[in-house]
Amino acid sequence: MEKQITIERVYGASPERIWKAWTTPEELKAWWGPQNVSIPECEVDLRVGGTFYIVMEAGEAMGEYKGTKWPMKAEFTTVEPHSKLEYTALAWTDGLKDETTIDQTTSIMFTEEDGKTKVTIIATILKVGPKAGMAVQGMEYGFNQQLDKLTQYLSS
Amino acid sequence: MVERNDELSLVFGSLSSATRRDMLRRLKRHTMSVGELAAHYNLTFSAISKHLQILEEARLVSKHRNGKEQRVGLLPTGLKTADKHLEQYRTLWENRLDRLEAFLKNKRLK
Repeated sequence: MEKQITIERVYGASPERIWKAWTTPEELKAWWGPQNVSIPECEVDLRVGGTFYIVMEAGEAMGEYKGTKWPMKAEFTTVEPHSKLEYTALAWTDGLKDETTIDQTTSIMFTEEDGKTKVTIIATILKVGPKAGMAVQGMEYGFNQQLDKLTQYLSS
Repeated sequence: MVERNDELSLVFGSLSSATRRDMLRRLKRHTMSVGELAAHYNLTFSAISKHLQILEEARLVSKHRNGKEQRVGLLPTGLKTADKHLEQYRTLWENRLDRLEAFLKNKRLK
């Protein structure tokens, strides 16, 4: 009864560099959200028990989802600089918090390997609100747009 | 009333209970009567029924009558719904990691 996903990725940057991208609001704003989605709010209180708050907002190109906000409020449970970051989070669709909240834990590990860094993400879904599917669909819509753009770009 | 697009949440809601996960684990190999299943838990019959009802609503199990006893069997489709959701999550993270890669490359050039 698996409710967990594990993803690994190797980056040609140091753990310190990637850690900075992951823990600095200005940098998170640059890569966290999909295309057509902006990050109007981002707060990082980098300590165990500190808050990690990030809001994604759907842009013009997302049609019916335009203006929809998807906040995520998390609490850090592990902060080991350049090595491990863990948080428990609630993510939801603004205005539909009771129905759409997804309760999850995320663990991000940074391991140095021959001058490169392996990033391992383990995300566990603990609970899903009765209408959370909608939020995921919205996100998926954003991704599809992004893939469409990529396809367009590659074929032009 | 249960809407169709709530299927997902029902599945995850069902999986949030350790007892229900254990029931599914036991039902993986073969069907069981309600009595056989109940014997594994220190729970009242009504609590067992409630758990089974939740699993049934999420279409993770189905009950059928065999003579006098009610048997419970696993329905694999419900779990596929959960897998689909996790796949969406995986996509979300894969895309995010792609953007992180692009971001880091961009930074190095500057």
